[in-house]
Amino acid sequence: MRKKYKKDKNPNKNQTSFYFEDYLETNKKIRFSRKKNFLQDRVYLLFFLFFTLILIFSLRIVHISLNKLEVSNQSNSSKKFTLLRRDIVDRNGELISRNIQSFHAAINPKLIKNKENFLINLRLNFPNIQKEKIENQIKKGKYFYLKKRINQQEKEKLWNLGHKAIIFEPFQSRIYTHANLFSHIIGQVDFDNYGISGIEKYFDKELKNRDLLSEPLEITLDVNLQYLINKELNKALTTFNSTGAGALLMDVKTGEILSLVSLPNFDINKRANVKDKKYLNKITKGVYELGSIFKTFTVALALENKIVSPKTIIHDIPRSIKCSKHNISDIKEFPRNLSVEDILIRSSNIGTLLIARKIGEKKFKKFIEDANLLETPEFQLEEVGSPISFNWNKCKLETVSFGHGITTTPLQATSIYASLTNGGNIIQPTLIKRKFNKTNKKLISKSTSENINKILRKVVTDKNGTASLANIDGYYVGGKTGTSQNYQNKKDNLNTFISIFPSQKPKYALLVMLENPKVAKDLVYNYRGSKIKASRNEAGWNSVYVAGKIIEKIGPILAIKSEDFNYQYVVEKTN
Amino acid sequence: MYKFKLCISIIFFSLLLVGTSIIKNETRDLEKKIDNLNEHIVSKEKDLNETQLDFFYLTSPYVLEQRIQNLDINIYIPMKHSNIFLSFLSFVELQNKFVIQEIQNEKKIQKR
Repeated sequence: MRKKYKKDKNPNKNQTSFYFEDYLETNKKIRFSRKKNFLQDRVYLLFFLFFTLILIFSLRIVHISLNKLEVSNQSNSSKKFTLLRRDIVDRNGELISRNIQSFHAAINPKLIKNKENFLINLRLNFPNIQKEKIENQIKKGKYFYLKKRINQQEKEKLWNLGHKAIIFEPFQSRIYTHANLFSHIIGQVDFDNYGISGIEKYFDKELKNRDLLSEPLEITLDVNLQYLINKELNKALTTFNSTGAGALLMDVKTGEILSLVSLPNFDINKRANVKDKKYLNKITKGVYELGSIFKTFTVALALENKIVSPKTIIHDIPRSIKCSKHNISDIKEFPRNLSVEDILIRSSNIGTLLIARKIGEKKFKKFIEDANLLETPEFQLEEVGSPISFNWNKCKLETVSFGHGITTTPLQATSIYASLTNGGNIIQPTLIKRKFNKTNKKLISKSTSENINKILRKVVTDKNGTASLANIDGYYVGGKTGTSQNYQNKKDNLNTFISIFPSQKPKYALLVMLENPKVAKDLVYNYRGSKIKASRNEAGWNSVYVAGKIIEKIGPILAIKSEDFNYQYVVEKTN
Repeated sequence: MYKFKLCISIIFFSLLLVGTSIIKNETRDLEKKIDNLNEHIVSKEKDLNETQLDFFYLTSPYVLEQRIQNLDINIYIPMKHSNIFLSFLSFVELQNKFVIQEIQNEKKIQKR
């Protein structure tokens, strides 16, 4: 309903017009409402901002709580000792080498208040210190090292002095828990954590791999076997007055090396610069004429090519044969007619030579190539020797057939024996476990391998055999001896025995080598049930004896640890 | 209505503010605890490392042999292969043979 506006008869001059009053009223209202809206908007904006901040904060808290602990551990990385190099362990997880925190002791002369007092304190605790040298260095005023690689005792002594000027610089040092035991295999590292020899050098990159620092590098060696073999070889050095010795124990099926010993050895913790040739790794780096060991290869090749059988008789074997300028003969007198296996059992040079002539140079060369006898072997050490190459001259086949005029490393010789006795499969020696080591290459057939195993067993059991002292009960040891002389110095000789056991189905090959052994005058042998003393300096009286002692000690360990015997009871018989 | 909304917003905002500061403080306390625990872990790891080294050195064949020689009177010789039995059955079989042999021997003695 419209309002009726009456005209005012007496208009008030002060009275504003209705229109303008209304305008102001509404304007005020509008302004008020606008202000109210602005205020609200500001409040809402502030609320929104704070809410967003709180939301971001809450999300961050949730994110941190859901993330791994490494996120929160990063701040503590400075205190934590982070390894720069992986551990090395043996096949049973026993530690061989590890990085530890060590310290260098240094002096900052600027922090020394009373120099005389300082020097007196040092001298009291370390009487062997060169006082004048340190005094001069303190006078120079420059930071210098008092002693590098201090041990715990020395650190505690210096710490107890309580001088601010003595500073301990941390660094990582590599320690080897077994000192001499693995000196030729593990090698050493320098102060900057670089491998300089052995496995430390060969696997330098893998050992420094940051992704694998918590996983140790596992090698195939066994600490216990290594210790036992090392101990027996050390005994042999004194018993036979040898200048050096070596041993290698290998799994014939996989090529894994369970023990590798070369004497003399050295303490790798001492970080000595070893230059003397006598500390050479004789098993991998040493290149030798191994002698009669090669006769097994000749006989195996002849059997494989079906030129002869084990029982084939070689008639009219002469006492000596002249070939060019060489006069080849045997040390002992043998019967004129010998079977092939007797030739190997008795170790007849002439008999082997005649077999080799039947094989022919071409096939013999091929066998040597297939066996990689004259090539540098592939191995996980840089210290590997290269056999000396030669030309196949007029009498080369004859001399090579019984192991003269041809050189190889003991590592290669053992690998070939492993290949001959494991069914004929060529294997590659290794220090790192592999799932499959079969190279799918065959050196000889399975039947030839079985025949060779039987003949090698007879070398040990036969009365005419040269390795009777290795006939340890229960292990069915087979093998071949090798006695060779140094052509330049006939007094120097090398006596070797490569054995395989158990010979029915060989699992292990053991090489034992003695450098320049002498006759052990005080040693009494238990030879086929009787007590005798040795008079000849041959492998059958020293290397074989040592191999027998080693097999006696390591046999129970190998028998118990072998995979065939897992999950079965091993009971000791008590009397 | 406006006042109601404003009140609710302020209450909600205050609650969030207080809640955030509580969470923040708790988080800081937790981080301190984590830091302390990490320090403990680092020192325990160091101790474990050193103990492991001691263990590996003290159980090395050389040290064990020295201790046996020093502490024990017995001389240990390698175990003969004939004393190793690959299964309990083979041990029992051998024992049975010994028992049978003993019984036969006793019978022979009685007959005499």
